[in-house]
Amino acid sequence: MGGDAVWYEAAMVVGITNALNVVADGLGALMAPVKPGAGTAEVDAVYDDVRAFYGGTAEIPMPFGLAAQDPGYLADVWAAAKRAFGDNQLSRRVKTALAFAVSLTTRSAFGTGFHLAELRRLGVGEPGIMEVVGVTQMFSSYTKIADTLQLEPDMGDIAPIDRTPAPGGGPA
Amino acid sequence: MPTVRLRDADEYPEPARRAFELSKQWFNYDFSQPAAMSRVMAWDPHFGGPHGRAMKRAMTPGEFSRGEKEMVAAVVSGVNACDY
Repeated sequence: MGGDAVWYEAAMVVGITNALNVVADGLGALMAPVKPGAGTAEVDAVYDDVRAFYGGTAEIPMPFGLAAQDPGYLADVWAAAKRAFGDNQLSRRVKTALAFAVSLTTRSAFGTGFHLAELRRLGVGEPGIMEVVGVTQMFSSYTKIADTLQLEPDMGDIAPIDRTPAPGGGPA
Repeated sequence: MPTVRLRDADEYPEPARRAFELSKQWFNYDFSQPAAMSRVMAWDPHFGGPHGRAMKRAMTPGEFSRGEKEMVAAVVSGVNACDY
């Protein structure tokens, strides 16, 4: 898993995961999501795409239902989320594992449950889920020990620098 | 700056130095000194030993590869805002 591309993708997964989680966890009990058929045609079109992306589920995930109060906003949030989680350099399966780990680490009830269900839907077995839980748990220990002792990074030179240009750009 | 003085490898007893060699193999990298976390964990082998074994078990390839698990570890560290 060399090169920067996978890390750019991972960072975008982390960002959009957190964005979806904060709204679902913070507002899920306070605001009503837009029900299918109750919004505009634009909302229903996005909802159809959301359902297809998540395996034909009838339920629209809470963050998208809440975003649908503004159809244009929903369309852009969904486009970003779909792009972030789609197969690319990193597989959707790995991206979902990252989202699950982020959700667990940030104590997101919505994200933890949602991405756990997605991992299972994508074929990850209970041993695989436990692998992600184990890494998440152990690094939640490691990071706090390192922070308590204010350790400085000492492994930054392990990986070579990726000199390839940005997508569509010229040589470095 | 660390809140403790990280001891050099040669200040540790022999069993810890053997563990540092294993750590070098694990990372496949020739550190001038063992990684700071390796030296921290070696301070108390009754904690660092089982913690390290749990870590190694968690990172061993299974349904997810070692590389994929390193990425999970990186994002967990990132959202914990851990510079190390």
